[in-house]
Amino acid sequence: MGLKTRLDRIPRRKIPGSSIIYIPSGKYLKMATFGYSSVLADIIYIWAIQYYGNTAIEDRYTHLIHIFSIISELDPSYIDPYVVGALIAVEDTRDVALALKILDMGLAKNPGQWIFPLEAGHYAQLYLKDYALAKEYYRKTMNIPGSPAIARRLYAASAFKANDLTAAWETWLEVFQASADPQIRKIASNHLYEVKAAIDAGTIRDAVARYRAKSGRNPAALEDLVRSGVLARLPKDYDEKDYLYDPATGQIKTQVAPWKR
Amino acid sequence: MNPVLSIDALEKAFSTGFIPRRKDILRGISLSVGEGEIFGYLGPNGAGKTTTIKCVLGLIFPDAGKIRLFGRDHLDPRAKERLGFLPENPYFYDYLTGREFLDFYGQLFSIPKSERAASIARLLELVDMERAADLPLRKFSRGMLQRIGLAQALINKPALVILDEPLGGLDPLGRKEIRDIILRLRDEGKTVFLSSHILQDIEMICDRVAIIVSGRILSQGRLADLVSETVLFTEITISGVDDADLAAFGESLSTQAGRTLLKVCDELNIEAVLDLVRAKGGKVHSLIPRTRTLEDIFVDMVKPQ
Amino acid sequence: MTITVIARNTFKEAVRDRVLYLLLFFAAVSILFARVLALLTVGDRVKIIEDVGLASISLFGALMAILIGTGLVYKEIEKRTIFTLLAKPLRRHEFLLGKFLGLVLTLAVLLAAMSLIFLALVLAHTGTLEWNLLLAVVYIFFELVLITAVAILFSSFSTPILSSLFALAFYLIGHFSWSLETLLKKLPSGATRTFLRFVYTLLPDLENFNIRSEVVHQLPVAGAHLLYSAAYGLVYAAFILGLAIVIFRRRDFI
Repeated sequence: MGLKTRLDRIPRRKIPGSSIIYIPSGKYLKMATFGYSSVLADIIYIWAIQYYGNTAIEDRYTHLIHIFSIISELDPSYIDPYVVGALIAVEDTRDVALALKILDMGLAKNPGQWIFPLEAGHYAQLYLKDYALAKEYYRKTMNIPGSPAIARRLYAASAFKANDLTAAWETWLEVFQASADPQIRKIASNHLYEVKAAIDAGTIRDAVARYRAKSGRNPAALEDLVRSGVLARLPKDYDEKDYLYDPATGQIKTQVAPWKR
Repeated sequence: MNPVLSIDALEKAFSTGFIPRRKDILRGISLSVGEGEIFGYLGPNGAGKTTTIKCVLGLIFPDAGKIRLFGRDHLDPRAKERLGFLPENPYFYDYLTGREFLDFYGQLFSIPKSERAASIARLLELVDMERAADLPLRKFSRGMLQRIGLAQALINKPALVILDEPLGGLDPLGRKEIRDIILRLRDEGKTVFLSSHILQDIEMICDRVAIIVSGRILSQGRLADLVSETVLFTEITISGVDDADLAAFGESLSTQAGRTLLKVCDELNIEAVLDLVRAKGGKVHSLIPRTRTLEDIFVDMVKPQ
Repeated sequence: MTITVIARNTFKEAVRDRVLYLLLFFAAVSILFARVLALLTVGDRVKIIEDVGLASISLFGALMAILIGTGLVYKEIEKRTIFTLLAKPLRRHEFLLGKFLGLVLTLAVLLAAMSLIFLALVLAHTGTLEWNLLLAVVYIFFELVLITAVAILFSSFSTPILSSLFALAFYLIGHFSWSLETLLKKLPSGATRTFLRFVYTLLPDLENFNIRSEVVHQLPVAGAHLLYSAAYGLVYAAFILGLAIVIFRRRDFI
């Protein structure tokens, strides 16, 4: 028994089970499972969790996609591996593209699982700061029946950040109208305020530019824009209040911050 | 009267071995068994007795020949309804008890449950197995298996009972009991067909016999006809008389411990020998007339082969 | 009917076989091991338990069918108990079918026992009785019926060791033949393809009884698939048994 304890202490170079990385494709592996592919998928997944938790193995991330695609071939509907695989990719290796690839794979095989584009949206937003991509993912999420209501809101928020103001406006409007929860309506209306402010700021800035083109300088006040015929009507903010205008810089601001209404 | 079992020109050969080599086992067997008789099927080991029986039972399919049971084709299940069979070295389901075992076979004959129970009780009494009825068969001795096997052969009150070497491996008491049972069966009107290579048993109970050697029937007929009653010679054991004096009347077969075994062929000489012994003051220990036995016939038949 | 007499007796014989209880014990251990395995996972524990449980029932059921089935007829011949049996008014096909039904009955009882343990374990983890798992078990049963027929076929003329190997080969081929279809798609049409397609149709497809994955993921299984699958199993089994009867019918018992 003493020998066994001694033996255990010697670090092993070969990690049991890691010969899995030499399997060429999950498709062929499935043929060799004789009907037990789901159980094998479970076992490989459990092994992978231990494997990726083992900090002693330094190059364990090189085959992440391979291992998780094997699991996917064996049991395409098994949800956890996609989610956890993506998590490992993001948290441990900061490889967000890989995480997205895994989640895309999951969605391709399970079009009804909204968790995949939802997680992908989060990663796109948080780590890549790619709001257009996040917006796409959130859009996919909200179109899947059974997806949580928050997906809609996340879509609208990313649309705003990606500067797709029309989509943001329409969606926040839907959220506002569809919800009975006063909390959500408040949030929606704040966002609507913000989006409108952005839209209007754009409209006013364009008008200012046209004014400057005509008269060579910034207008003294917003009313000048209407008087000069550059703008048909001066837009008011969501609460029917006026926008603030600084003639020196040409900046448009709201009177209050959207969330302080 | 229609024969209960008739076999006509039965032939069977087997091809055995890795390179199949044809071996003729039955070379044209014909025999017929009448109702109510005990028929002995006699032959040395390997003659084809068991093969013949298996053909009759439909366990083996003959190459040529016809077999009829109760006037029907032997494979007809209706013929099998009235048949009982006990194989040589019987092996039975060792996980069943004696009673369960008989019940199982009873069910195969579609005997209704109430009647089955009565039959089983009767049979267990007949073969003297009542004590062991609830023991699993794996705990039975050879003799016990033979008896319960006989009970199984009788479960359907068969008209014809086929017994393959029924007395093999039994002690003398066991053999007597089985012989008595067979005789009782005949008294009940049943027909019994039994095969054996032990001549004494056949001689004691059979009405008719057939002798099979190397796949051929060499002799068939009533036992009484085959074995004549004529005395061949008489064996007398004598003491107290000199061999020289006895030599005139017969042949001295052996002399041991003062006793001479004298073989006397002529019946007239027997009287003369007895007179001589009395005259000389000797003693006659035994006097046994020897008739032609089945063993003699058998040996004569088998020898030239 | 004589078939039922034989069937009942076969059931009695199987139930007193120690191998059966050994396998049942290992099956129970295997199912309960699912619980242990589930502890190691991150995420859905119930899926692990359901997968391993159903796989155990399938695997041990197949082992039981093969190990007991391949000995059934062979033992009777070897031990010569078949002599007294066939001397009775019992037709040979009745004997074979009786053996088959007896084993099928035994397997049904065993599957029920294993399912009970399995459902109890799932109940302990989810708080509900997942009856739809039983649908997968029913189809495991259909698969076992077919495997039993094959085991009996080989048992009627071959030793238990060889029969077990053949039956095992049948099982493995049965779970592999679906991949032939992918191969077929890649081939150009012609004589080879037609021939292989013919071979493919003949080969047993045991995968079509495998609805375990669908049941565990709670995906719907088409009613048509269920119907045709069951019919396929029964027809194929009847074919195998027919073959066994033909071989058995004119056999000499030396």
